[in-house]
Amino acid sequence: MTAIDAAFWALGLIALAAGYRVFRTDSMVRASFLLLASFVAVGAIMLLLAAEYLGFATIFMMAVEMTVMALFMVMFMMNPAGLNPMNMVHQPRLAAAAGIAAFAGLAVIPLLTDFPDRPADRQADPIAALGNELLGGSMLIFESAGVTLLATMIGAVILSSRSGRYGPSDHGSVPPGLEPGGEPAGRRPKSEQRDHSDGGGHAS
Amino acid sequence: MTLALQLASVALLLAAGAYVVAVMDGLVGAALSGAPQPRVLRQPLERLGRRLVQQKTETEKPDRVTRVLAPALYAALAAAGLSVVPLADDWAAVDVEAGIVLWGSVEVLTVAAVFLHGWSPNSQLPLIGAYRYVAIGLSAMLVSMFVLIGVALPAQSLNIGEIVESQRSLWNVVRQPLGLPLFLVLGLSVSLRGPLDYADSADIAGGTSAESSGSERLVWQAARSAMLVSFAAMASAAFLGGHSGPWLPGPVWLLAKTTLLLAVLVVLGHLLARALPSRMMTLMWTVLLPLAFADLAIAGLGALP
Repeated sequence: MTAIDAAFWALGLIALAAGYRVFRTDSMVRASFLLLASFVAVGAIMLLLAAEYLGFATIFMMAVEMTVMALFMVMFMMNPAGLNPMNMVHQPRLAAAAGIAAFAGLAVIPLLTDFPDRPADRQADPIAALGNELLGGSMLIFESAGVTLLATMIGAVILSSRSGRYGPSDHGSVPPGLEPGGEPAGRRPKSEQRDHSDGGGHAS
Repeated sequence: MTLALQLASVALLLAAGAYVVAVMDGLVGAALSGAPQPRVLRQPLERLGRRLVQQKTETEKPDRVTRVLAPALYAALAAAGLSVVPLADDWAAVDVEAGIVLWGSVEVLTVAAVFLHGWSPNSQLPLIGAYRYVAIGLSAMLVSMFVLIGVALPAQSLNIGEIVESQRSLWNVVRQPLGLPLFLVLGLSVSLRGPLDYADSADIAGGTSAESSGSERLVWQAARSAMLVSFAAMASAAFLGGHSGPWLPGPVWLLAKTTLLLAVLVVLGHLLARALPSRMMTLMWTVLLPLAFADLAIAGLGALP
């Protein structure tokens, strides 16, 4: 067993163990960063395969995504610091069955495939080849996928932000009344207040 | 054998550099306040000794593993960043083709390390520091990414050695005048320094470090300085021609340029005031990011055959 084989097995084990822990932990922040650890191990495996750009880019992208995801999950959920234990799984039986089926399905592919034995040229420059592929022949596909994803994100934000906490946000969001049909609860915006005194600012 | 020597020199550079940064901090602070500072060389060592014997603070239900690992991760990232900078011709500890992308991952993982450092004690002020830092730190990182793409363009490579090589005739600091000033913003941000220290600043009682003491705090503070050293070495390779220069051997040139940038960063950290996070965020997205686009456009026009 060479050093690269040993590194592959170690990294694979880290990726699997961290990925498993994602579903066993009780905190969103822990889950996000365990998932990051799993992805970093996968990125390192790509480095072992001499896919330097893809490996580092995976680590880079996943670090941004998981950090932002952890932050937003904590912000939008009821568990501010993410350290109070909470149940993080839904439909665990079905999810476990689906996970095992997917793992088995994916594991069968490398076992049954007859991979070609075509060692790459040592002089090959995979980064330049990747760049030429992405921005050459596949540029139209690549760019349309990018713009579609961006449009999807903006659309998702707009759709999800329409239903505000107190009804559709484009109708003007007002809290419900304290009794049915009553005056909206809470403080009113300044422009609606009859008292036009200077509010809470400093005296000029 | 060479690799061992290279790794040892990375470790030595980080340790010595962290000490130099601490001394510079003392000197600049004394010079700006006008107070005499007779023991500026000894003070960092005294601080180190005090931290080693200091009691460890405890918080309620912290994430113990993350609390210990976050400072270690920060220090390791500083080492990883420095390891791709060639100290002499073809003499980088980790000579990877995608060196700039590795440095990018170091920047992002630093944001993650600072967040985890603030999150793990399960305490209010550290968490506020962590949140503020992620918002500002990610914005600063975004600006630096465009600046770094600009540096890679004339070299037609993502390798740091190639980027140094591409500056034989003209340094990038002249070729892309906006690049280095914008990149310095990132330096202040990744090392939690001065105007971009939104994580550990005094206005939130030490922020992510509010609950840390003893050796944990020592490692964290040392890692901040080490990250500044790592950044300065990377900036000198990307903009000041790195190890290349006449008469003197390569490592001397790299050390001289790195020390110069360290001095500039320390002075900037002391002189510039910290704005409210919301104002800094506006500045980042409405001024610095468009400037980074302009820098990339300049780099692109310059790289046209």
